[in-house]
Amino acid sequence: MFALDEQTKMVQTMVRQWCETQLAPRIPAFEHGSELPFELMKKMAKTFGLDAMVGAQVRKRIDKLKAAEAGGTTDETSAASLSGSLGGDTMMTHVVVKELSRVSPGFAMGWGVSMGLAGGAILAKGTADQVERWGLPLTTCKQIGSWCLTEPGAGSDAFGSMRTTATVDGDGYVLRGSKTFITNGPGADIFVVYAKIDRGEPPAEQSVATFIVLRDDPGFTVGPPFKKMGMRDSPTSEIFFDDVKLGVERLLGGREKGKAGRSDTKDSLANERSGVPAMAWGIIERCYDASVAYVRDRRQFGRRIGDFQAVQLKIADLYLKLRNVENTVFRLAWMQQSKTQDPAYVNASKAWCSQAAVDAALTAIQIHGGYGYMEELGIEKLARDAKMLELGAGTTDINLLSAARALIGPDGGA
Amino acid sequence: MKILVPIKRVPDPALKTKVKDGAIDLTGANWVVNPFDEYAVETALRLLENGEAGARVAGAEIVVVTIGPEDAAQQLRSALATGADRAIRVDAEDKALDAGVVVAALVQIIAAEKPDLVILGKQAVDGDANQVGQMLAGKLGWAQATFAASVELAADQKSVLVGREVDAGVEYKRIGTPGILTVDLRIVSPHSVKNNVTPATFAYPDGPRYASLKGIMAAKKKPMDVKKLSDYGVTTTPVTREVGIELPAARAAGQIVADIPTLVKKLADEAKAI
Ligand SMILES: Cc1cc2nc3c(=O)[nH]c(=O)nc-3n(C[C@H](O)[C@H](O)[C@H](O)COP(=O)(O)OP(=O)(O)OC[C@H]3O[C@@H](n4cnc5c(N)ncnc54)[C@H](O)[C@@H]3O)c2cc1C
Repeated sequence: MFALDEQTKMVQTMVRQWCETQLAPRIPAFEHGSELPFELMKKMAKTFGLDAMVGAQVRKRIDKLKAAEAGGTTDETSAASLSGSLGGDTMMTHVVVKELSRVSPGFAMGWGVSMGLAGGAILAKGTADQVERWGLPLTTCKQIGSWCLTEPGAGSDAFGSMRTTATVDGDGYVLRGSKTFITNGPGADIFVVYAKIDRGEPPAEQSVATFIVLRDDPGFTVGPPFKKMGMRDSPTSEIFFDDVKLGVERLLGGREKGKAGRSDTKDSLANERSGVPAMAWGIIERCYDASVAYVRDRRQFGRRIGDFQAVQLKIADLYLKLRNVENTVFRLAWMQQSKTQDPAYVNASKAWCSQAAVDAALTAIQIHGGYGYMEELGIEKLARDAKMLELGAGTTDINLLSAARALIGPDGGA
Repeated sequence: MKILVPIKRVPDPALKTKVKDGAIDLTGANWVVNPFDEYAVETALRLLENGEAGARVAGAEIVVVTIGPEDAAQQLRSALATGADRAIRVDAEDKALDAGVVVAALVQIIAAEKPDLVILGKQAVDGDANQVGQMLAGKLGWAQATFAASVELAADQKSVLVGREVDAGVEYKRIGTPGILTVDLRIVSPHSVKNNVTPATFAYPDGPRYASLKGIMAAKKKPMDVKKLSDYGVTTTPVTREVGIELPAARAAGQIVADIPTLVKKLADEAKAI
């Protein structure tokens, strides 16, 4: 149960080879912003036949939706059961994310946001027409997507403090406001945007809805890429909506859902959180592999540094983190496969794995001494990138608080 | 058209060879498909598909075969994942094999399978013996073209035109089918394989293809026959014997010389190179 099957191992070997030969050489250009990663993402999807495989699944979904719509019903399959898996095999998806993250957590994140979050949201909640026009190109990686919730004034309190509004305008809406820290912003074609429906009621009573915004929509602009501590190979930007007119075909699901609109986002949030441990796994595994090799090889005071107990303890610590995070991913994969809902676990494990990744990367730098601090080895990059895992998909504190709230439960009154 | 591709598993050539107690230490070895055999599989795939459309031509079949222990099934499966149709594993321990035994088994498999072409890697990177293709052609009495750097399948599929890099340039050789081909590294360059179906302008990626995820899933369901050497009536035993294993002596450190006359003197006196 805690071992990869032969197929998944094959995928692992293949993606690792691809990362070493195709992705790793491009990292300096991505990191320094002289090249964007999106063409390579599309190429990767084609190389591994993701487009053909996911495309076939998505087409089936479209047919099912069309049939349901013709019969006047809707298909309420949950988001978690649809997105975040390749060919229905969740562990395989985690392994791909892990392998990408060994070399470039940013590349993994950008790909995950585009295919999994933005594509997944449309796939799970879109109408047949929306899935066909925007969900299909995103989930098959023919186009790039962004998933847009955070605003300059609304981070952890994403819904309460949300200022972006969609004012009702005839049959459609007018979008006003801005979003920030948007992964893939500088290159995305399709933006999945959360906004409050404004009919003049106080903001706290406004419902949240999801819109599809396209790069060329009049009134929509994208800011320049941010300069960041890490995840530099994943361009991030602010985006602005100045009276962007949207027809009802851009309202995800085709109709307003009132209060239920927020739960659409929550499905995506759970997906986002379940994706983080695989990234931490990749970071820690690479740190562990590199460190073990290094302490066997590096000699000081006439001995291998691996013969010093202080170094041995660090190796044991890396190993422990590696196996714990790996176990977490196995459990998450099992939860996804068996449709087990456990928000406390999803939140708490995301927080733990992210912290473990930061610790492991810093430990790996320490083991490598001055060499670990140099760009060439690629370890210092992992430390910078790992820190992001403690901020995105909810900060560590927010994740832990969500876990605790799920465990304690609501106050039913005395 | 049917192509048979014999493949061998080898310890990952990217890793350092370890010698322990006078033998190569294979504990924990990472086994991979011999790189030249991967090129052979890629050649077979390119010969039998419309590369631009990504689809196999009708009626074409690629059979991969290995002679080796149970673990070697993994390497067969990775060939199936890239697109081969069917696999045969002839169960045998590595120790019970040498080129002669392998050829004896392949002769029987070929008699049963009747392929139009047998494509092999020019050599396996473990022993670097470079014998199986040539011996097989000899035993079968078939035409052979070794070290193929390019190949073109005639439109009538009755012959192949093979380019071989030789000292003076490229030598072209046409052999009829059935025949034996052994392939060199350059066979997986973008324009090295032509089949008169894939448009001549089509450029393949450099190197053998990656299996698609769908291919990997499908590989599990593709047929893999497991046979014994005795099923093919092979009674041959190895005639090669391992006398000893030694790592090459460590190279002496380089020297920096002060000027050209010293260099020339050292080359003449010490290295005896001039
Ligand atoms: C590289 C990068 C990419 C990103 N990509 C995306 C994206 O694609 N789409 C998107 O929508 N967002 C994205 N984000 C945004 C990310 O989700 C937010 O940064 C995150 O939700 C935190 O919000 P904030 O930065 O506004 O911090 P704040 O919410 O202002 O938090 C600041 C500090 O206060 C703490 N805090 C806040 N509230 C509480 C509380 N109730 N109790 C205890 N502590 C609290 C936090 O833990 C944190 O330490 C990205 C961020 C980064 C850095």
